Amino acid sequence: MAFSLKLELPSHPQVLSVVRSAVQQFAIVVGFSEEDCRSIILAVDEALANIIRHAYDNRYDQTIELTCRRLGPDLGTDPGTPLEQVCDGLEFVIMDHGRPATPEQMKGRDLDDVRPGGLGIHLMCQTMDQVSYEPRPECNQLRLIKLLKRKTQ
Amino acid sequence: MQISTRQSGTSTIVDVVGDIDLYNSPEIRKVLLENIRDKKVPRIIINLKEVRYIDSSGVASLVEGLKISRNMSSRFMLYGLSPAAREVLELSRLIKVFEVFEDEAQALAAK
Repeated sequence: MAFSLKLELPSHPQVLSVVRSAVQQFAIVVGFSEEDCRSIILAVDEALANIIRHAYDNRYDQTIELTCRRLGPDLGTDPGTPLEQVCDGLEFVIMDHGRPATPEQMKGRDLDDVRPGGLGIHLMCQTMDQVSYEPRPECNQLRLIKLLKRKTQ
Repeated sequence: MQISTRQSGTSTIVDVVGDIDLYNSPEIRKVLLENIRDKKVPRIIINLKEVRYIDSSGVASLVEGLKISRNMSSRFMLYGLSPAAREVLELSRLIKVFEVFEDEAQALAAK
């Protein structure tokens, strides 16, 4: 069953715990394992924290839109059909109207350099199957996809 | 999130309860710096048994505490990592940077 959840959030760190709870419940309903649920929560939380800190420069009165959508497994079989149409899983689209991230910021930093900060994008890429970022004239859009790994019979 | 500190011999134990995220990581940073830099405690042990979630800003606070403790020649230890806390430290390749123990007794007994 396809369904989605759309949240309009203030860019305030206090809402992060609320979003984590909602995302966790969504991921459980879709059927993700406990470990995958933790990965999804971490990725979405890091994405929102990055927007608050970098896109909005810690201004807490801005808006972030988060849409969670269950991907359908049976929608397309033609070659070239986008990943999200042939796989079961979850897609998160996060939109903001702040300063766009630079390509350098989206690459993350060298992890051998042990220092505070700069880990968010790395954690998103490590935990999700697809991470894409598109700065658009009207808003910045980050898309995260986690695929559901089915148990073999 | 709630933070409290207590003494066990020469060790200062910081008990953290709740999630550590962008909202409250400045609080844990403040407590760590107060103890390590200002009070110059010789050994600080962070009890993460009741922490279900930690994000990269929480990890950054721990890394900062670790770095300052090294500068001050004090020990900085963690124990009671939940799966989520362990995973985030592994994903950020920091798990081996910290002294991590299973429980408080092990941390206190460490030479």
